[in-house]
Amino acid sequence: MKFQIPIGPQHPALKEPISIRLTVEGEVIKDADLRLGYNHRGVEKLAEEKSWIQNIYLCERICGICSHSHATCFVQGAEKLLEIEPPRRGVYLRYLVSELERIHSHLLWLGVAGHEAGFDTFFMYTWRDREVVMDLLEMISGNRVHYAINTLGGVRRDIDETLRGKILEGLAVLKARSEYYFKIGAAEPTFVARLAGVGPLTKQQAMDYCAVGPMARASGIDRDVRKNDPHDFYNEVEFDVATADSCDVLGRTIVRIKELFESYKICEQILRKLPDGPIAVKAPRRAKPGEVVSRYEAPRGENIHYIVANGSDKPERLKVRAPTLANYPATIEILKHGFIADVPLIFAAIDPCICCAERSVELVDARSGEERTLRFSDLRRMANDRARSLSLQRNVAWPL
Amino acid sequence: MFERVIRWSRKKSPWILHLNSGACNACDIEVVAALTPRFDVERLGVLLKATPRHADVIVATGPVTRQLRDRIIRIYDQTPDPKFVIAVGACAMSGCVYRGAYNICGGLDQVIPVNIYIPGCPVRPDAILDGVVKLLNTL
Amino acid sequence: MNDEQKIEKLKTFVSPEAVAHPASHRIFVTVAPSGLVTLVERMKAELDNWYVITISGVDKGESYEILYHFGDTTGSITVRTQIPKADPRLPSICGPIPGAVLYERELQDMFGIAVDNLPDPRPMLMPDDWPAGNFPLRKDWKFDRPAEVIPGGEK
Repeated sequence: MKFQIPIGPQHPALKEPISIRLTVEGEVIKDADLRLGYNHRGVEKLAEEKSWIQNIYLCERICGICSHSHATCFVQGAEKLLEIEPPRRGVYLRYLVSELERIHSHLLWLGVAGHEAGFDTFFMYTWRDREVVMDLLEMISGNRVHYAINTLGGVRRDIDETLRGKILEGLAVLKARSEYYFKIGAAEPTFVARLAGVGPLTKQQAMDYCAVGPMARASGIDRDVRKNDPHDFYNEVEFDVATADSCDVLGRTIVRIKELFESYKICEQILRKLPDGPIAVKAPRRAKPGEVVSRYEAPRGENIHYIVANGSDKPERLKVRAPTLANYPATIEILKHGFIADVPLIFAAIDPCICCAERSVELVDARSGEERTLRFSDLRRMANDRARSLSLQRNVAWPL
Repeated sequence: MFERVIRWSRKKSPWILHLNSGACNACDIEVVAALTPRFDVERLGVLLKATPRHADVIVATGPVTRQLRDRIIRIYDQTPDPKFVIAVGACAMSGCVYRGAYNICGGLDQVIPVNIYIPGCPVRPDAILDGVVKLLNTL
Repeated sequence: MNDEQKIEKLKTFVSPEAVAHPASHRIFVTVAPSGLVTLVERMKAELDNWYVITISGVDKGESYEILYHFGDTTGSITVRTQIPKADPRLPSICGPIPGAVLYERELQDMFGIAVDNLPDPRPMLMPDDWPAGNFPLRKDWKFDRPAEVIPGGEK
């Protein structure tokens, strides 16, 4: 007996279609399987027909939350192929927008995690504070998402003294609010109990399944492109890589909150040390034949673009690997040992961005072969009911 | 007389279904941001529902990928009459940058009939509110 | 381990002229498909914090060039192999490193390369009604764009 519940919004944020099939025995998941491809748009084939400048705008629209990551990764590679070097001020502005984007993405994720854990007030608070960052980005670039601030050879818009002052004010407000969220994460026993122990991924599993980003860092692996394979800019600012040892969803939350504070530090250093000068250099139209590997640390993990040029004004091959795809094998491994009711939280904890966060989950009973489809909202309700019935653990180890 | 009451209630509280047909997520985040305290679309009576059978208005984003085409038509059929479709964003209007890709059908109007188009890439939440209000005024 | 030490080590795994160092933090190694799995096992044993970043394929006309991008603590190492178009087969590296399964499935979908010993050989990305035998990223694959219907008609 199988009925399909059609695609519809189960949770307010991040709805891209993907379907998971879980084989269950009672409440325990025995096997998990993903069906990707609902969001496959053929970007790599399209990129071969567009020029270098047009590809910046195409790469931006691969993802809506980390759009600047894809654009910057592409532009870093294209500038090496075109053999141009952007001026210092342009580089600083480019990475200022990168860090502001990281802040907005982590605040978004905190809201989603709060919503999945049943904490809707937290969701509303964090998204209200996110509007501070969106306003700053709109003042710098003119748009809330898809900033289009990169160009071959630098950036397109400059900031002046008043804008610099406003950014510093906005960051001060956000810092005070983030300390409040840190306290909620640390001292609120229900929230901590809801997240602790859910979705464990040991360090060896994270290494075998090649996890990237906060997923890997929450399992104790020190893996961050900004330290391992840095662009020259990151050698001039001081920051630390945030890791945690608890290997569960609580660890991933802590890693992201710590990264918020590191981003505030980096933004303040950029604004203090901003050099004078031009913001862009002129770029040639054609690139000499060659290839380049460009890596970048997006809010969700490591982004890689591999570009091959053949001497004309269009790339020969563009290969993009977004960070969420790298976290899928690890997610399937986590799901295999979990409970049905934990599925929304585990899935939200990988911070799904591209081809992820689905609507319907199909359950196959391992013994009888019967299938039934559940909606995410049902799963969320089951999870929160179960959590309420467990007794509060007051001595949960805080992974600091 | 009943007609007037029904039309008034339909105008004052439209329930929406949010549908993502292969988009990059920016428009979806802006639709969700319309629910947050700064823009707050719920004060107009709009409620985000999870299933098409309860919805009056389908808010759809994204260029339509081939895998999702049949499912979108099925969702449209499952929504009870009278229903309205809002196409949000440049992707749902005509495909945006993905026009001509092998896995894309083009805009949303190649698949289901659309009542209102809201342009933008991505659409600002204020524009979404404006579009919803304009739709309600035609009722 | 910095770049020079890694290059010395890699030169002992393959021949010295197969290792190139075009830019800082970037090392390129060329190997034949038969020597791929042994090289991967040796790299996993000797390098720390080592993982697969992604696997790319490039259509070079007469052959496919497959690049395996690996990352570790101080940069990236890219391993390059060539396979002929007439017989596109590759061994799978999911034995030593299970996280590479999705990238190899993508190669199967996009180029039509057969990967041996894949733990999960189903197609991944294409829609259910995709006609078999169509591999979009091959250079000689063309498709007709369907005509657009404008609702309301063109006046």
